[in-house]
Amino acid sequence: MDKHLINSLWFMPLTVIASPAFAVDYFSIEEAQQLLYPDATAFTAANLSLTDEHKSTIKSLAGTRQRQNEQPVWRVEKDGELQGWFIIDDVVGKHEYITYATAIDQQGNVLGMEILSYRETHGGEVRRESWREQFVGKTAGDTFKLDEDIQNISGATLSCRNLTDGVKRLLVIHEQFLRPAQ
Amino acid sequence: MFVLCRRAAFFTAAFVASLPATGIAAENMFGVVKGAETLPQDAMEIYQKVNRRSDKGQGDYTAYDFVTEVEYGVSNRFSAAAGLKMMRLDTQGLIIDGYLPKANDIGLKLSGIEFSGKYMFLSPAKDDIGLSMYMSANYDWIDPHSGQDKDTLSFETELLTQKYFLEGELIWATNLGLEATYADRAAIDDLPEGFEWPTDPEMELELKFGTAMTYRVAPKWFVGVEAFYETEFETEVGQERWSVFAGPSIHYGSATWWGTLAFLTQLEGGGEQYANQSDTSLHLIEKTKQELRLAVGFNF
Repeated sequence: MDKHLINSLWFMPLTVIASPAFAVDYFSIEEAQQLLYPDATAFTAANLSLTDEHKSTIKSLAGTRQRQNEQPVWRVEKDGELQGWFIIDDVVGKHEYITYATAIDQQGNVLGMEILSYRETHGGEVRRESWREQFVGKTAGDTFKLDEDIQNISGATLSCRNLTDGVKRLLVIHEQFLRPAQ
Repeated sequence: MFVLCRRAAFFTAAFVASLPATGIAAENMFGVVKGAETLPQDAMEIYQKVNRRSDKGQGDYTAYDFVTEVEYGVSNRFSAAAGLKMMRLDTQGLIIDGYLPKANDIGLKLSGIEFSGKYMFLSPAKDDIGLSMYMSANYDWIDPHSGQDKDTLSFETELLTQKYFLEGELIWATNLGLEATYADRAAIDDLPEGFEWPTDPEMELELKFGTAMTYRVAPKWFVGVEAFYETEFETEVGQERWSVFAGPSIHYGSATWWGTLAFLTQLEGGGEQYANQSDTSLHLIEKTKQELRLAVGFNF
């Protein structure tokens, strides 16, 4: 082999420096359901099948496109009485999708939000309760703008923005398709 | 009470956000074109970049440029970097008056240092479009074209824009830059008779414009395309050269490291040409027909 080519490979050991070990999945769906609705007695799958027309409506109202045709939704009850809705969603992260769950009550207020999977290098602060609590009480009519009503986290701006837009989109979905079903 | 809780949550989150946070914001998505994002405060990345330049249309010419660089997030808007440059060159069968005096086969050699800084005015993920200013200072002691001794001091300023589409699955970036260079060649003893090798210091100005777009085809994987135009003006000859390069790039980004491979080919070029240059639609004195660029970065 060309001695110069061998010389040129001196930097290759750098490629083994990085540690690949990262926790990515924090909660299962069942664990997130218990965290967001600790008193619930029943979670009934009520997935939404969205047409192109539905997706177009969601985009025009939420300002963000609805990528999925099937939206995983659970109707949450306590002793036969409706408590709210539990929705699982994915948004685009810097490299991979971020999976999160949102609890929305009958009136369309966010009860809570949990991050199930976060696979990015940094910006794990989105999992902190103090950041997630900013969404509690939000409705579809709120601003949902970074550094206005939702604080940004430097280094995870794209994740913050897409999670913020994602929760707003779920509130629009609730308003359009779940509230009438109540 | 509810409003108070929300306000408390907002301020707590503001405090969290003000803590040193790290990120992967500065990873190179393209071979040449830069993104507008900076590293967050206290974040650090180490890069290894390699550029293989080959084919001047005659003889054999292959050069490798290596840059090992460390970048640090001084604040959430300003990051600074320092890099060590090395090169190797193998050229034979081509003599270019004033530029390539003789065959040369040099192994890996330390060739220069660079310092750079990037200040982000607007964040691409938060504002409508990202806007940054990039500045760099380079000192090189080997001529990257011939491998001969040459002291070069250059200062570069670039405006970088970056726009996210489709929630970040599609990224568009543009760069507009100006580089001023002072160069002073060392004399060469055994030049061919009549060969011109000016040793008086010279000044050069280079204008650069690049644009690039990349799309996330699968989690962690981006496939893109980029194009850039460069033109250089020199004291005596006016516009010395111009060239347009374009080509595809592929980028992989994970939680701990990222890598980008770009293949660029010279589509068109002009300005000075060497004697008997067969392909007259390209600039092949300071540029080559192809560039293959690899960059690998590690997050800390």
